[in-house]
Amino acid sequence: MSDLAFLSITKAAEHLRAGKLSPVTYTEALLDRIQRLNPRFHAFIRTTPDLAMAAARQAERDMAAGHWRGPLHGVPFALKDIIDWSGLPTTAHSKLLADNIAPSDAVVSARLKAAGAIMMGKLSTHEFAIGGPSFDLPWPPAVNPWGGNHFPGGSSSGSGVALAAGLIPAALGTDTGGSVRNPASLCAIVGMKPTYGLVSRRGVFPLANSLDHVGPMTRNVRDNALLLQVLAGYDGDDPGSADVPIPDYAAGLAAGVNGLRIGLVRHFYTEDCRAHPEQIAALDQAAEVLRSLGARVEEVRLAPLEQYATATRLIICCEAFAIHRHWLATRPDDYGDLARQRILDGAVVSAADYIDALRLRARLTRQTLAAFADIDVALTASNMDPTCPIDDAQACASLYPRQARQPFNITGQPALAMPAGFTQDGLPLSLQLIGHPFAEAMVYRVAEAYERATAWTERHPPGL
Amino acid sequence: MNKAKLSEIAAAAGLPRLSDKYLDQLQMSWASGRELADKLPKDLHWTEELSLTFRLPRPSSDTPKSAP
Repeated sequence: MSDLAFLSITKAAEHLRAGKLSPVTYTEALLDRIQRLNPRFHAFIRTTPDLAMAAARQAERDMAAGHWRGPLHGVPFALKDIIDWSGLPTTAHSKLLADNIAPSDAVVSARLKAAGAIMMGKLSTHEFAIGGPSFDLPWPPAVNPWGGNHFPGGSSSGSGVALAAGLIPAALGTDTGGSVRNPASLCAIVGMKPTYGLVSRRGVFPLANSLDHVGPMTRNVRDNALLLQVLAGYDGDDPGSADVPIPDYAAGLAAGVNGLRIGLVRHFYTEDCRAHPEQIAALDQAAEVLRSLGARVEEVRLAPLEQYATATRLIICCEAFAIHRHWLATRPDDYGDLARQRILDGAVVSAADYIDALRLRARLTRQTLAAFADIDVALTASNMDPTCPIDDAQACASLYPRQARQPFNITGQPALAMPAGFTQDGLPLSLQLIGHPFAEAMVYRVAEAYERATAWTERHPPGL
Repeated sequence: MNKAKLSEIAAAAGLPRLSDKYLDQLQMSWASGRELADKLPKDLHWTEELSLTFRLPRPSSDTPKSAP
């Protein structure tokens, strides 16, 4: 096997099952690569080589005995460090939780364990999934492998970086205002925020409970569908969990887009928040690609982006403050500046304004779902701009709000970000596909057709 | 806004011991919160609020025997 670093889950599963690749060899190769490259990219804040090798040896024994557990068996992965793995610290990248040992597995961790996947370690995040990129925390922020010293997006920053750098083929992130899709967009990988309630959040440190999602992050669309298959399912102990049938997400991937109705939400990136010219061109070109494959692509209008952003920001800061107020009262020095600032916003928003934000959310959700009545999937921007140098605090602060991800945290619909080309300087451009609630399979179908037509996901950062 | 007023706001939010440095951050939060609240539509109504409702299983005996 010549290039284990960028092997897809799909290919790895084929080779592992056929006995052409040993899970021990695969795991050793990636651990070695992490050891060499992590000092440069800071994707991992903790690796777990003993745990990984023990799981790899167990997978090898299982497979030799003919017990294949599915496509994730023997495949390395890692967790954003707000997700519990029994016996390991869950730090949320914060001094406040530096010694917080998880007493049990998060539901998603237990599901990956049962699927035979190989746990490689904990990944860098913005502090408590809200404050970053920050240089005043116990661990440095992750750095994007695309470009010299660039911001990888966040808050699931380590997840995006580890995938783009070929350190692991699968990672979990979380998404409250876009935190799976932002690093997916800036690191040229695939990130899915599933429908609210599809994936359990039990054992995941919350940011804003009514908007929090756990999502799969991979280097291509099929891999993402395979990973979601393992994660999705009802959890009676997560009050937001939905008891719905789980389809085979990979079954319809090759069906193509001929005859599908795709709504292009162009006003988000041309009127409401005008995107970088190369990003606009990439999105318009993506619409043309889907048309050329037989889809009917027509513009649809949703509410102005600013309305979604207003509701999202008010809800996040209020719900986050409710979670953090005790620590803010007793240990304010232990937060990084950015997280403290963003969470403090919730201390001064009135209850009436929070209630109004919830009313606005309900209104926007009704309007958005009505606009989806005549389409199968929507296409729009994820980020409005390519990434920027990570040490330029002002550029990073300006980059984050220039996005169109928050609308689908507000509505809870499934939304996937994926590469849509590169700038002349070689930095990733992206697009976002949005589906009806629980129609992840349709989103994947469109994403796979676009991916096959463009092959953007086959590119890797120069020099890696 | 002066420090005394900020301290009063902090105390009301359950943060009585914020140092001056963090009171400066609270002032920025205050401005940011006002800016966001001003962007909320003015015609929002309580009938638009989501409600938490219980769903009980419907016993089969609920259906009247005489029903068609």
